Amino acid sequence: MKVHVHPFANLRDYAPTGKGSFELSLADGATVADVFATLRIPSTVEAVILVNGRRADQTTPLAAGDEVTLFPPMEGG
Amino acid sequence: MFKSGNHGDPVPNRERTRKRFYGSPEMETARKPDIGESRSESMHGWCGKILRVDLSRGKISNEALDPQVARDYIGARGFGIYYLRREVDPACDPLGPENKIVMAAGPLTGTAAPTGARYVVTTKSPLTGAITCSNSGGNFPAELKKSGHDVIIIEGRSATPVYLWIDGDRVELRPAGHLWGKTTHETDDALRGETHAKAKTAVIGPAGEKQVLFAAIMNDRDRAAGRAGVGAVMGSKNLKAVVVRGEGEVSLADPVAFKAANTKYREAFKAKTQDNPPPLRVHGTAITVVGTQSHGVFPTRNFQQGTFEGWESIYGETLTRKYLVRAKPCFSCPIACGRVTRIPDGPYQGEGEGPEYETVYALGSDCGVDDLAALTKANYECNELGLDTISMGSAIACAMELYEKGYLKESEIGMPLPWGDGAALVKLARMTARREGFGNILAEGSRRLAARCGHPELAMVAKGLDFAGYDPRGEQGMGLAYATSPIGGSHMRGDPAYFELLGVPVAVDPHTWEDKPPLVAKWQDLFSVIDAAGLCVFFSVRYLVEQNLMVKPVGITELLNGATGAGYSPEEVERAGERIVNAERLFLLAAGFTRKDDSLPPRITREPMPAGPAKGLVCRLEEMLVPYYKLRGWTPEGEPSEAKLKELGLL
Repeated sequence: MKVHVHPFANLRDYAPTGKGSFELSLADGATVADVFATLRIPSTVEAVILVNGRRADQTTPLAAGDEVTLFPPMEGG
Repeated sequence: MFKSGNHGDPVPNRERTRKRFYGSPEMETARKPDIGESRSESMHGWCGKILRVDLSRGKISNEALDPQVARDYIGARGFGIYYLRREVDPACDPLGPENKIVMAAGPLTGTAAPTGARYVVTTKSPLTGAITCSNSGGNFPAELKKSGHDVIIIEGRSATPVYLWIDGDRVELRPAGHLWGKTTHETDDALRGETHAKAKTAVIGPAGEKQVLFAAIMNDRDRAAGRAGVGAVMGSKNLKAVVVRGEGEVSLADPVAFKAANTKYREAFKAKTQDNPPPLRVHGTAITVVGTQSHGVFPTRNFQQGTFEGWESIYGETLTRKYLVRAKPCFSCPIACGRVTRIPDGPYQGEGEGPEYETVYALGSDCGVDDLAALTKANYECNELGLDTISMGSAIACAMELYEKGYLKESEIGMPLPWGDGAALVKLARMTARREGFGNILAEGSRRLAARCGHPELAMVAKGLDFAGYDPRGEQGMGLAYATSPIGGSHMRGDPAYFELLGVPVAVDPHTWEDKPPLVAKWQDLFSVIDAAGLCVFFSVRYLVEQNLMVKPVGITELLNGATGAGYSPEEVERAGERIVNAERLFLLAAGFTRKDDSLPPRITREPMPAGPAKGLVCRLEEMLVPYYKLRGWTPEGEPSEAKLKELGLL
């Protein structure tokens, strides 16, 4: 299945091509953790994770067409 | 608590206003060579000195800071409400001589503590009629401490424009007629020219002089004590500026312990940021658009929507790419979120600081503007004219919706005002600051504008203060925070966006409301502590509190104890935060505010979000208010109970 990944700020550094949004192929039954593993995001790198605009975590299951947003925790606005 | 002040006295003649005060016997007693000698022998962290400036009489005096007050209220925001309650009638005219301005630093302001840069301006707000306590960083607050002062109490009204020049312990009022009408930048240039090149300034621009109800006090040129019209109060007193120069050092009770704590938390910051470059340093606060847009709470077109189609044109990464010159830190700050920016060419060519996230929301998405150059230029104008960018943008957004719906005619505005009109932002900011044409109506703020047009429900305010850039329908805790903040619709009185949107210290579902009352209360108390200590929330919430939702202020306590020697426990510090919140509540109640003012516009509580991740939601404010009052120890009418007041020493 394919999901859409939208990384921001330093999380862009792990995008496979360029630094923008991209499509990622994952096995059926994949979770957010598989996105992190595929992109080789180190465990020391912090990220806020949203799937389709809702709060998610590493264990959140993914479905084809899901929108995965990744951005660093922020100290405020 | 209220005691009548010495207001209404005959105004001094010009000669007297010009008088140099450091030769007077009164000031003679206060003349000391450095902070260490001028403060009370037993005080560290705090200078122990209050400067009282009676503008009506042209009189300046020093008072000692009561050590018990210092301990109980910590500083800055705490001192602000302590003195306001003591000396200002909550029913007074905010723009009359009986209102006072309390400028106060905290015990960590001016020390090496990370982000020990802040001060707070407390007064009765002309925009809302409530208290306001506007907070700012930069270098002016640290300089105030280095001059040997914790607090400046400004009272009365000068007959002619003046500025206050604090050169260490030598203090005088000087004529400012030649500065009247000048922008904040021109004023800063002129004042440093006629005092000291390294002096730091806090000034008003034309907006403050014209008493625009959301005029700011700008310090260090581009840092703003922005909210709820503190600049208008300064203008009403004919006080153009406070200029300060200090060469002392803030005395520390236990320099070894202080240094150890300081090093520990700075090292923690360094360790974390090795693999996690601070987004605020790299992109400024405007990166926060990612968090709000992704959650569908990025206020758009006067809060008609929670997502903005043009968001990528105006957010932090675009700002970095197109206009960033350099990051700029406040005093003693390891983050450096400030933005020095430049628009190289085109109709909005210019240079200055910003925009911050709140400005990107207010002058950008909320007005449907996706032209980053236009909103940045409007930001520069607001800084130089001395306007709060949030309330300026919010008033324009309100006008745009009134125009869209036909409640406000083109003939009344003097031009068409469609959504997305970037040029209008710049033009209206200029007109507002000088109260020209339709700007004279905008200068009264969105609440009065909407009421004037017969549609008060279209002002996106709480207690008359315009919301920050978070739609509470998709972020329930923020709704409760807006409604119960002592100053009205501010995010900076216990910002739930940290845990609801930004993942700090941990992530909480922004759509649930049942769990929010205790979190909001806890964070409101914490923010009071951060503000009182003289710190910035940006560092404090990640490094100086325990990293769970109860945010025990362990690091803040360590730093406070190293600086002051007060021997606080974290619980005592938390209690001081709660004391400040309750004292502010008492001022509000005495000013005539009631439970019904803990409210949000019907758009937020009754109109479901039309689209995006928060689609279908409204803010469940009423359901949250009842448990909130209860756990605060307040009555169902939102009044602190006698038992709670007794517990906090407020009876």
